This record gives sequence, structure tokens and C-alpha cells, in this order.
Amino acid sequence: MSIKTKDARKLETLTKIKRLAVGCLVYTFLFPQVSFGSNIDNKSGCAVAPDPSSIVVAGGSITEILFLLGEEDRIAAVDRTSNYPAQAANFPVIGYVRALSAEGVLSLAPSLVLGEDDMGPLEVMSQLESTGISIRRIPEKYSATGIVDKIICVAEVLGYSKSDRTQIRQRFVDQVEEIARFRDKVVERQRPKVAVIMALRDGVPFAAGDNTSANGILEMAGGENVFSGFQGWKPVSLELMVGANPSIIVMPERGLRMSGGREAVLSHPSVRVTAAGKNDGLIVVDGMTLLGFGPRTLQASIDLSSEFARINSQER
Amino acid sequence: MSRKRRFPENIALDAEQLKVLALACCALVCAALGLANGALDIDLMSLSADGSPEIQRVVFSEIRSPRVFLAGLVGAALATSGATLQGLFRNPLADPGLIGVSSGAALGAVAMIVWGAQLDLPDRILPYALPLASVLGAFLVTIFLFYFSALFGGFNIITLLLVGIAVNAFATVGIGLFQFLADDGQLRSLVFWTMGSFGRASWSSVLPAAGLIAVGAILLLAQRHNLDVLQLGDAEAGHLGVDVNSVKKMVILGSAVAVGAGVALSGIVGFVGLVVPHLVRLIIGPRHKYLLPGCIGLGASISIVADLLSRTIIVPAELPVSLLTSAIGAPFFLYLIGRMKTL
Repeated sequence: MSIKTKDARKLETLTKIKRLAVGCLVYTFLFPQVSFGSNIDNKSGCAVAPDPSSIVVAGGSITEILFLLGEEDRIAAVDRTSNYPAQAANFPVIGYVRALSAEGVLSLAPSLVLGEDDMGPLEVMSQLESTGISIRRIPEKYSATGIVDKIICVAEVLGYSKSDRTQIRQRFVDQVEEIARFRDKVVERQRPKVAVIMALRDGVPFAAGDNTSANGILEMAGGENVFSGFQGWKPVSLELMVGANPSIIVMPERGLRMSGGREAVLSHPSVRVTAAGKNDGLIVVDGMTLLGFGPRTLQASIDLSSEFARINSQER
Repeated sequence: MSRKRRFPENIALDAEQLKVLALACCALVCAALGLANGALDIDLMSLSADGSPEIQRVVFSEIRSPRVFLAGLVGAALATSGATLQGLFRNPLADPGLIGVSSGAALGAVAMIVWGAQLDLPDRILPYALPLASVLGAFLVTIFLFYFSALFGGFNIITLLLVGIAVNAFATVGIGLFQFLADDGQLRSLVFWTMGSFGRASWSSVLPAAGLIAVGAILLLAQRHNLDVLQLGDAEAGHLGVDVNSVKKMVILGSAVAVGAGVALSGIVGFVGLVVPHLVRLIIGPRHKYLLPGCIGLGASISIVADLLSRTIIVPAELPVSLLTSAIGAPFFLYLIGRMKTL
């Protein structure tokens, strides 16, 4: 056998493989998307659910809202972020809001899956969808009215009448006004420069930028986010932290413990030289209360505003 | 040969073939177990009857079946490619991660998670975007590997290994960069993706992947005899008429296709690619002719059982599957090593 024929055969095999590979890619693209279950009921927004009698809840703030409305009897299960009120711990836990399991949810035979904006993953949601179960994703907006809208939205899904919903909204009018009043009080003096820090992870501050729940609460309470220059939560360099020179640092209690306590944070090189470090401007909050954007967050915003005002007045 | 001694001549199958068959049966039994159990109680006997509840039928056919299928596929793909790579590198620690295929696939997926939202893909393509990006990542890494290995003096094992390490480092940089760019929600998606799960399976995503994995497996299985000869060393194999470079290319290409397609859907599933080949070697022996089919059987079995446990231990939530593949495999592996020593 000559070398040439061997090479030719090799070439032939290679061409075959190439064709096969191209074929596979084309096949992957063209594979018809199987659609099953003619009765898909997956709506973003607040459309009334056909049967809200047994609800699997994905998202701490939604659980909170159901308790607020006195509808906790409808809850079949909650997710891991649902830690308020304490009775929420009595329900089965379906895992983390972004890592749900389709069969796990279905094993509870719910009639409705009610979740926060970020419930997922996408693939599991479409698996659930294919079984014909009702799914409602409650829109999220990081503001005081956004929270009230969420409550009203949940009420609408549960089938509350228009007048009932107006009544619920009425209950929050005063509180929303109070938030604005407290905010104005802070702002008219001087908007404090605030950094919200999840923790000092290995000594590096993990800070909230734009488009985060933390940025939203600062907006509500009248603070100015010193890290609004970037999106999401990011580790910031110590120098950037010093340069930003926040007069107030807000930290969740868990993050504070992880970072070694109040003294450790205030004496940290990146904090010590800032205005916050010099004037003891460290505010410790409950993370889920402040950043969960459930009903509790309304009061938390008022509390935060008063803290801002207190530290502001000390500075003078 | 020793295996002939234990069996009389008139039995058609020799010991290795029997063991391969046993592992295949084991995979089937595991698959049956996986299909029969789950968070939702499904009465399999009445499933075909018209009176059975629709939800049970949908869960069985659209959620559980593709999931078990995917678990088996990915396990088989990882184990087979691990075995061939160990044979190729003549290194017991080789696995799909070594040549950067896994991290390349991960990089593709991570890029899609972070950039996907901006791309504004049509709904029809959206379900395939992540797997495709992941396969593409695996391919790019492979091309990179080939190019630089060829550039730096041919396909000798050391060059391949070192370039593989460099490729891995690049991919890790890329993943880190995307993690940094990701927003809060994307970051959490990334974390859960890297933990690995078969829970995202649906027929429309598993079947294309099955096609790719089959192609990869065929490429790998085709090298079974050459890999045996390669154990003598590159030069010796060359003298015996094996086109060593082409074997290397085929093995790496086959691994990239099979692992890329699998990882794309399941995320990163640890342990299977590294240790299952060793288990099969301890059970069946080192000949690739039997080793590779054996890996398909055992890889699928372990992965299906791990998935079954992951979705039934803490119902209605789920454990990350990587945790369980390691938890099942590691003690078994230790036991087998111990037994080998005493033999």
C-alpha cells in the first residue's frame, strides 16, 4: 500500500468527521423546540391566578407579604431566603430562590408558584411551565412605592377585589409619606455620602454599586451612594474606598460578624482614614430587613434616615 | 492469559466482556431506579393508564426522563474521555479538566450568562444559547491547544500538558473577568452553574447534546486499539504503525465534543472523569477495548445514582450533584485500592 492511498483515506475520514460535526451543529440549531402542555400559565405581572389555594413561594419578601395579608394558610412551601416572620420556618424549604428544583416544587402539589423577579433557573421555570402549573413573577422596583406595588400585585394575584386593593394601598400611604418626610429632613441638611458594604471579604470591602437593592434603600433614606459609578456588588480597592471618603458606612449584621466586629471594621486601613472611620459612622442593620424590599423595608428606611440625621448632626 | 484460566473454553464471552456487560446492566438498573424515584411519588404501573393524573405523566416524561438520560450521558462522556486522556498522556491524573476542555466549556457558558441578556436573542434560540456557547468554548480551547502545541515543536506529551495548563489559566482569567462583570443575579446564576446540576434538562436540550456526545464517544472508541499500543511510548507506537499525532488529535477532539456538550447542560460535575476510569481499570483491566465501554457503563451508573440522591435526600430542595459524585465515588475508590494492595 502506498503512502498516498493511506493519506487519501485519512483525508476522507477527516472530511467525513467534519461533515458530521457541521451536521451536528446544524441539527442543534434546527432541532424543533418541543412545546408541550397547551395550557401554559406563566405571567410576569399581577394577573389573577385561577387557583391560589396552595402556594409555593420563592423569595423572602413575597413570604413576608403573604403573612402581612394574613394569607399564610395558603403557603405550601417557602424558599431559603424566607426567614421572616419566624413562623415561615415551619414550612418545607424548596431551596434557594435562584436554584429551584422542578420536581421538588411539584412534589408539594401546589396550585401556584409565586416568586420574586429573580426566581429561577430559567430552565426549571420552563419545566414547571410545561406541567401547566400557574406561575407568577412579581416585578421588583427598588423604591418605597415599588414595595407597595409588590404588595398590591400579590393581592391582585390572590384575587383581591379592586376596592380591597385600594384599601391596602391606603394603609401604606402614611408610611410612604413618612419615608419622604424623613428623607427630605436628611437631604435638606446635606446628603450624607454613604457606602453600603456587605462585608470586608478577606480584608477587601464588598460594596454596593448602582442597580442594587442597597442603592435603592439609600435613595429612599436620603443617602448618596459613593459607589454609584459601577453596577452591582463589587469588591472595591482599599484606595478607592479611601478616595470615596464616605461619611457613613452601612453594613449588615452578618457581614459585620464575618469581618470581625465593629472595632475591626472601624480600624481597618480602608475605613480608619475616612470620615466614617473618624466619626464612628458605622450603621449596622439587619440585612434582609433593609435589603429584602419586603414590607419591613419601609420602616427600615425611616430608621436609616433617622440614623443619617443623627450622624449628620454630630458632624456639625 | 489469566482470564482464560477461570473460564472454560466453551463459554463464548470472556471475563472482560462479561464484566462490561455487567456494568452496562448496572447502568440500566440505575436508570430504572432513577426513573422510579423522585420528589414526586409516581405510580409507574398506572402511568400508561388513561386515568393517571396528568401531572404525573408530564413530570415523568418531560422532567424526570430527560434528567436521568442527561445524567447518564454526562457521566458516560466524562468517564470515557477521562479514560482516553489518561491513556493518551499515560498519566493517571489526567482528566477532561487537564487539557482545559472543561474550563473552556465553563468560560463559554459564563460568557453567555453574563452577555446573554444584552444579545437579545429570539425566544427560539434562547434555550440553546448556553449549551452552544459552552460547546463553542470547548472547541476554541481545543483549537488553541492544537495551534500552540504545533507551534512549539509538535504534539509531544509534555508540550500538550504545558499548553493545557496555560490554556486553563487563560480560561480561568476569562471566567474571573466575567464574574467581575456580572451583576448580582448573574453572579448567583454563575455560582449555581459551576456547582453542577442535571435539573435543567429537557428533551429539547438533551437530544442535541446526546447527538454531540455520541459523535465524541465514537471518535474516542475508534482509538481503543491505538491507545493500547500508545502505552508502549510515542516512538514505539510510531514504529508499530500508529499515527501518533492523529491519535492525539482525535482523542482531544473527541473529548472536547463529548465533554463540552455535557458540561454545557449540567455545569461542572467533579470526580467522574478522574476516578471512574481507575475504578473500571481495577474491575476490568487496562485494555481500552473493554475499558472504554466499561467507563460508559460505570460513569453513567455513578452519575445517575448521584443525581437520584441529589434530588431525593433533602426534598423538596436539591443538593449540588458534584458533592454526591465525589461522596459516592471516593470511598468506593479507596476500598478498591485497599483490595488491590492485599491481592
